[in-house]
Amino acid sequence: MSATPKNDAPQTQAPGVHPRPFWSLRPQSDRQSGDAVTSNFLLHWFPAKSFKASLAWGYSFWLGTASAALLLLLTLSGLPLLFLYIPSVERAYASVKDIEYVVAFGAWIRAVHRLSAHLMVAVVFLHLVRVFLTGAYKNGAGQGQKREWNWVIGVGMLLLTLFLSFTGYLLPWDQLAYWAITVGTNIASSVPMVGASVRELLLGGRTIDQATLIRFYVLHCIFLPAGLGVLFLYHMWRVRKDGGLAKADHVALLAEKRPTEPSESKTYTLLGVARGTAPTVRTVSLEAPDTTVNSIPDLTRRLAIVILGTIAVVSMLSVFVHAPLEEPANPLITPNPTKAPWYFLWLQEVVTDTTIHLGSFTINGAFLGGVLLPSFLVALALAWPWLDRSPGVSAGVWFAASRKRQNAVFIAVVVLILILTFVGTFMRGPYWHFYWPWQQWPELPARI
Amino acid sequence: MSNGDNRREFLIKVGIGGGLAALAGQGIASLRSLVPNVSYDAPTTVKLGPPAEFPDGLKFLPDERLFVFRDGNTFHAISAVCTHLGCTVRAEALSQPETKTVDGKPLRLTHRFLCPCHGSKYSGDGGNISGPAPKPLAWCHLSLAPDDGQLVADLARPVERDFRLTVG
Repeated sequence: MSATPKNDAPQTQAPGVHPRPFWSLRPQSDRQSGDAVTSNFLLHWFPAKSFKASLAWGYSFWLGTASAALLLLLTLSGLPLLFLYIPSVERAYASVKDIEYVVAFGAWIRAVHRLSAHLMVAVVFLHLVRVFLTGAYKNGAGQGQKREWNWVIGVGMLLLTLFLSFTGYLLPWDQLAYWAITVGTNIASSVPMVGASVRELLLGGRTIDQATLIRFYVLHCIFLPAGLGVLFLYHMWRVRKDGGLAKADHVALLAEKRPTEPSESKTYTLLGVARGTAPTVRTVSLEAPDTTVNSIPDLTRRLAIVILGTIAVVSMLSVFVHAPLEEPANPLITPNPTKAPWYFLWLQEVVTDTTIHLGSFTINGAFLGGVLLPSFLVALALAWPWLDRSPGVSAGVWFAASRKRQNAVFIAVVVLILILTFVGTFMRGPYWHFYWPWQQWPELPARI
Repeated sequence: MSNGDNRREFLIKVGIGGGLAALAGQGIASLRSLVPNVSYDAPTTVKLGPPAEFPDGLKFLPDERLFVFRDGNTFHAISAVCTHLGCTVRAEALSQPETKTVDGKPLRLTHRFLCPCHGSKYSGDGGNISGPAPKPLAWCHLSLAPDDGQLVADLARPVERDFRLTVG
């Protein structure tokens, strides 16, 4: 990857022919910058020019890029684990124990995989929060934009991320895994009519056993990553098709109100070309020179900072934050308390509090809190771009005045979820009793 | 439209249709193969041992997730599977055993049951008192094995709360 432009001269032999074998990530001219986009397979999905406003750290916080970096890291750290882990009830726990204590760097690789998974759930959620608060699922100035569908795909990717993390949770086959999955899958069976069959199909039987382990393993290693990969590619493609981030539309809409200097149109008539008198027209080009920069290197530099930075931070944190491994799974002993993965604890908290008795008629909290409420929230999220009637100028703006009320409600829901998660994680002790974080849990016998 | 065009159209449709049918067949077969025809789950009818080996009061059988109660020569069994989300409940001995009439029959209550997952509480007869549990704990059918006289529990056969097995 040579950065010097010394062999620029011979490349003018024919237009579109690029004699340089490599492209430059540090281009010296617009021409070189454009070449880097068109002649590199990895870079060609970027636009030639990017909006300065879209690249700003404080607009998007680059959370989507960070999620993608975590997905990359999960794929990379998952590959060695694929060689080391054995998805059998008899051997799964021992193989994870080997990874943890025997395999060179095994503990670190597993810690990277686990930490990235937890972080990915958090970062993807924050990405969703950012997109909502900036109204970035709204269409702005461009023709044929379908940003609302990219939001729908994004919600699907959040659900896939959660399910990926959940299926990975069972694989170590320890007490933590076994009982978290017991509670999680029993929620499915609380659905009237079909619940029991859905659970049986998910588990491959009536209890969590070999059939369950292999199902979760195949989902975790093949189907869910493949699905997430396909949606990821489509998500990125849609961002390009929709004219970049919503912030770009906001810039363009504001620019329309400003008189622009006359510039040469890209539209030429044959006569105009022949006589050299192409018409000069007023245009509102989205790619006005004062609002855009070359994608290479300005976009690629920041991408590199975010992706490499994410990998560096996770790599270093994983040296200190170890992945836990509890006692082997034992269907005979339920740990006290038993907790779902932390990102489902707000649901577990709701599940605990929502059993309703109306005379002799009872609605199981598992159905209300574990099925109805999350389904309702997901449905609402999916429909929201069509329910949001605020004007297009509020797309790509943090806390737009015209979206004040919906932003407030959204923040309230998010804060409620965070509070319930916190309570479930830190304030629930044996028998799911309430304890302040500084209170000691009573000593209870593990067996009866 | 000539005959040749008709034949061509028809053959195209047959080709596409055949391909789609094959694809659908593959899909259905793949999905159906994931629904087990044989269950390797533990059997639901299990021998628990000779009745004489059960102590007066409560005995917990972790493999069957079952509490077996003995009061003299009568037996009854209550499932330890929480009716909320399927965790195993724990028995806690009452300081003062009491006798209560349950479904028209007197029952000596020696314990209550607590679920470690979401804090459901059950009384000694399995009734759900508080917490998210939507139903009482299930009572299981007990019988004596005709061959060796062992106590047999049918975990898949719930019974009313006046069920007692009286031995000899």
